Amino acid sequence: MTASLGRMWALALNTFREAARIRVLYGILVLVVGANLFAVLLGEMSQHAEARVARDVGLAGISLFGSLTAIFLGVFLLYSEIQRRTIHAIVSKPIERWEFVVGKYLGMALILSVLVALFAVAMLALLAFQGIAISQAVAQAVLLAWMEVLTVAAIAVFFSSFSTPFLSGIFALALFALGRLTPDILAASESSKSTWVRATTRIALEIVPDLHLFGISGRSVDGAPVSVHGDFVSWGYVLTSCGYALAWIGGLLLIASLIFRRRDFV
Amino acid sequence: MSDEPPVIEVTDLQKTYRTPFRRRKVVALRGINVLVRRGEIFGFLGPNGAGKTTTIRILMGLIAATAGTAKIFGETVPSRAARQRLGFLPEQPYFYDYLTVGELCDLAGRLFGVDAATRKRRADELIARVGLDRARTQNLKKFSKGMMQRAGLAQALMNDPDLVVLDEPMSGLDPIGRKEVRDLILELRERGKTVFFSSHILTDVEAISDRVAIVARGQVRAVGAPHELVGHTQLGVDVSLRLPEADPDAAAKTLAGDLDASAVRRADRQLTLALAGDADVDALLARGRELGARVLAVTPRFETLEDLFLRRIAEVDDPATTTASAPRAEAAS
Repeated sequence: MTASLGRMWALALNTFREAARIRVLYGILVLVVGANLFAVLLGEMSQHAEARVARDVGLAGISLFGSLTAIFLGVFLLYSEIQRRTIHAIVSKPIERWEFVVGKYLGMALILSVLVALFAVAMLALLAFQGIAISQAVAQAVLLAWMEVLTVAAIAVFFSSFSTPFLSGIFALALFALGRLTPDILAASESSKSTWVRATTRIALEIVPDLHLFGISGRSVDGAPVSVHGDFVSWGYVLTSCGYALAWIGGLLLIASLIFRRRDFV
Repeated sequence: MSDEPPVIEVTDLQKTYRTPFRRRKVVALRGINVLVRRGEIFGFLGPNGAGKTTTIRILMGLIAATAGTAKIFGETVPSRAARQRLGFLPEQPYFYDYLTVGELCDLAGRLFGVDAATRKRRADELIARVGLDRARTQNLKKFSKGMMQRAGLAQALMNDPDLVVLDEPMSGLDPIGRKEVRDLILELRERGKTVFFSSHILTDVEAISDRVAIVARGQVRAVGAPHELVGHTQLGVDVSLRLPEADPDAAAKTLAGDLDASAVRRADRQLTLALAGDADVDALLARGRELGARVLAVTPRFETLEDLFLRRIAEVDDPATTTASAPRAEAAS
């Protein structure tokens, strides 16, 4: 077990180094800082809603840019190993295919965690600069956004285990959008007169990770409106959502590993 | 007879690919049989597309066989336990180009579960051994093809393997680099290691292999020690003569007779004739003496590995001989 962890850690560190060299990530970081600065401007134009705008835009930036980065890394890093044949020298070593998939994912998770932390620091710095109080709710919202980003990375890795980067990117983006809109899609289907449509939608949404759970500011949870600006969800909800994310990540990596096990590397 | 299993045992190995869209079948291996014993250098010889790399990739667990079995140290591949004891250099190796050769060796060592102190020591030794000491601080991105090949060799040996599998290890190397790799392979055998390597550079294979297998069109066409395979068939005789000072051109023309131009070599007054096996050498020598020429050498010409290789490949292209020259039992030597 220790040896297996050692191998996965070696792969994770190598993936982290590989990802840290991708210049696009630094561009995304600049974009996030820009979005936060834009939020300051928007806040100035609003009627006493500076704090609301700054928090909303900051959190949306973490979620959106974090998820897009996760999709990019998820589809690119695994595919490039196969495309450039660097995988030949790796899977011919005494590692299992699943260790390779998990190791790559851990490396991606590591770089994404650093990025989310940097996004959050940028947001918190601007909140502090504006003299806006940083509440526990903001920390909880950041934690949930982080979980969402890690789940989206697992979705991208899953598709990348059997598809091309282009298709994997499309599939992952589609699933991200669907996951974000699950309540809206459900509500729309419930208004349909067809029981077949309602049932099919319900079943279809069951096999899509409910990413809506992680972006809850201004949403309704268990019938009650929650927001980082006022009442926010409990730590129990946050932990349950983290568990939900980890279950999806585990499941997706398991299926990706099973698919990867059967792949030929020519 | 030892109970120890062969280091590599490949039996009736087959591989068929399907093209992505049309799903057309492409047969890469048609029943490869190879047996490699402990401590030998085994050369896997064949033209491009013969099935060498496909066989090696199956052995390394990179692709799955369609039929047949492949075992390493008695373990059916893919086997993690077997991979723990082997080192592999892929064909045209690609490594993470942002690493230095030291970091590449360290990563390989980590994946083999080698402890930190041993990793450091072995990496230093191997980098020096493959002649990359002066390039230690450079990223692999800046390495030439030959340097990348050397880096690949270093990472393949990080676990001090019992079996070393090298896919075209001399490819891309200059003559000095090729000699260094040959020396390294011989050194590995001296240390009791088994080396299985593929190549299409016949002189390299002939110079260092204890046994070779010639592969063509996905089948083994011949197996054995190079001298056993090529040593018995006399193809002809090479006769070298010093032509007379008086009218050497006329003498050369007379002696060459109706020989094919490719069988006649002339440098100033030295004439070398490549005669067929059934040629009357005595008569030629007598005629030469009559013309005032001096005999410099008479050398029997035996089949080389290159001759055998070309003959076997030609047989494959002739359907009449293909069936006869695909003996599965050959590999069981």
